[in-house]
Amino acid sequence: MLWQAAYTVLFYLFAVAAISFAIGVTVSRRLLRAAVYLMSLLLTGAAIYVMLGAFFLAGVQVLVYVGGIVVVIIFAVMLTNSAQLGLATSPGYRKVMAFAAAAGMAIISCLALWTSKFNLSAATVPSDNIKAIGLKLLDRGAGGYVLPFEIISILLLAAVIGAIVIARRTTAPGQPFTTRGDEPAELANSTLKTQLCIEQEEQKV
Amino acid sequence: MDLIYTMTTSAAATDVITLADRASAAVDTNIWLSILYMVLALVSIGALTAVLGIVLIYAERKIAGHFQCRLGPMRVGPHGILQTVADTLKLLLKEDVVPASADKAMHFAAPLMSLMATVLVLGVIPYSPILQVTDVNIGILYVTAVSGLGVMGILLGGWSSNNKWSLVGGMRAAAQMISYEISATLSVLVMVLFASTLSLNGIVQSQESGWWIWRAHGTGLVAFVIFIIASTAEINRTPFDIPEGESELTGGFHTEYSGLRFAFFFLSEFINMFAASAIAATLFLGGWMPFYIEGFETFNKITSLLPPTLWFLGKTAFLIFIFMWFRWTFPRLRVDQLMRLEWKILLPIGFINLIAAAVIVLTKFYFFPV
Repeated sequence: MLWQAAYTVLFYLFAVAAISFAIGVTVSRRLLRAAVYLMSLLLTGAAIYVMLGAFFLAGVQVLVYVGGIVVVIIFAVMLTNSAQLGLATSPGYRKVMAFAAAAGMAIISCLALWTSKFNLSAATVPSDNIKAIGLKLLDRGAGGYVLPFEIISILLLAAVIGAIVIARRTTAPGQPFTTRGDEPAELANSTLKTQLCIEQEEQKV
Repeated sequence: MDLIYTMTTSAAATDVITLADRASAAVDTNIWLSILYMVLALVSIGALTAVLGIVLIYAERKIAGHFQCRLGPMRVGPHGILQTVADTLKLLLKEDVVPASADKAMHFAAPLMSLMATVLVLGVIPYSPILQVTDVNIGILYVTAVSGLGVMGILLGGWSSNNKWSLVGGMRAAAQMISYEISATLSVLVMVLFASTLSLNGIVQSQESGWWIWRAHGTGLVAFVIFIIASTAEINRTPFDIPEGESELTGGFHTEYSGLRFAFFFLSEFINMFAASAIAATLFLGGWMPFYIEGFETFNKITSLLPPTLWFLGKTAFLIFIFMWFRWTFPRLRVDQLMRLEWKILLPIGFINLIAAAVIVLTKFYFFPV
């Protein structure tokens, strides 16, 4: 009884935190603050997964999203040198359109939630669901996910190769596209960029 | 598929009771006892953090001294054992300077985030069969995930100081830690394959007839070496300490930190070293498991005379010594050398090692009883 109440209180605590962080991500004028709010949002999501007994999902959420994606976002924000600047205010018509789109999305998701039936079973989550997830992912049978798993692997591989090709681009934009091998110019170029960022910041200060 | 099922059946010989188990067992009968266990867990983790900070910093200075034919701290207390206490007092009383143009909230939150990521790891490490706060069933995944939070602390600390050295240091740290995390995870996966569980206690118990470092047909040894190298990079220690390279970045990401907040960064760095050593000891050197050889009963009895906690602490202390030894053996790497080491050397070796381990486990090509 007491634990039920504690669970409910905790759930609402995390839910309110998640919603306020989500609002923070969208309204924050500073890019890096927004990224930090996003990280907190993902962490509260992981907390809710833990409360549902899905430990593996929570762990992967923190590992992939917080430790990987948010860090890369922050890294990118730092490199683009716009971390200091607030976002430019958008013109009025764009604000109206954005609000309309957001409201439409909210209405659609609420309708979808209300009309669809969820087959909730009273069965408890197995304590060892890692093995179940693994078997399901590589199952070639009817309920298996081996095809989506492989397709996602190929997609990720393509993304990695694409990123490498773009990163190795040594010609200036507009010139014919070539990629060359391990040229130290590559490194010098990136350090030069950092140097430029620093100099620009110095001028601002 | 049957193979996978049979692989995962492991016999638990030693009963393991964690503090969380005790708390949840007592919750229906005596709620105060349960709360007592929770408080005990919190207090002991806090105490462990403080004691580790004092001991490790003293050890680092003494070892550094002796490696350079010096004596190290000698003045405060006998052989300088109170030096760290004095330094801590100094840090606590120092003025906490925050740069005028810093992002105040982030500047405040960054060291806390770094320390939090570190302390959270201490909760799942099995110190002995009865000394562990909680044994989450995703054990090693939890450790990898939580230590990723530490990167955020360093990145935010570097950025929020609004200082070019800090910014460069933070970015270097992030690039380095993300890269080396891959190698560390790959070598951890090898051990997960052999132990067929993610739980840290399960991994320790799977090493009852021998530690994985030599029971895993060489793949264990390769994984151990990769893990140690990658951990050195992840905890930003020499030769991978370019995020705070003093000669080029003054202090790296913590240039603008002083007083208590600097102490948090400093402390989390040392606790990280302990955590990395403890995880390496747990995965590869059997954790609290004494040195057992299958079949040699008398020998096994003699090794069990030493309590499990001492075995664990001994292995961890040895690995910590190795980390400190590295510092006076290798020169600091350049950024490009660091990246080349990870992406062109460690990562391919890690993948080949993982595939080899998978083949060994799938074909049951063992020379030892599992």
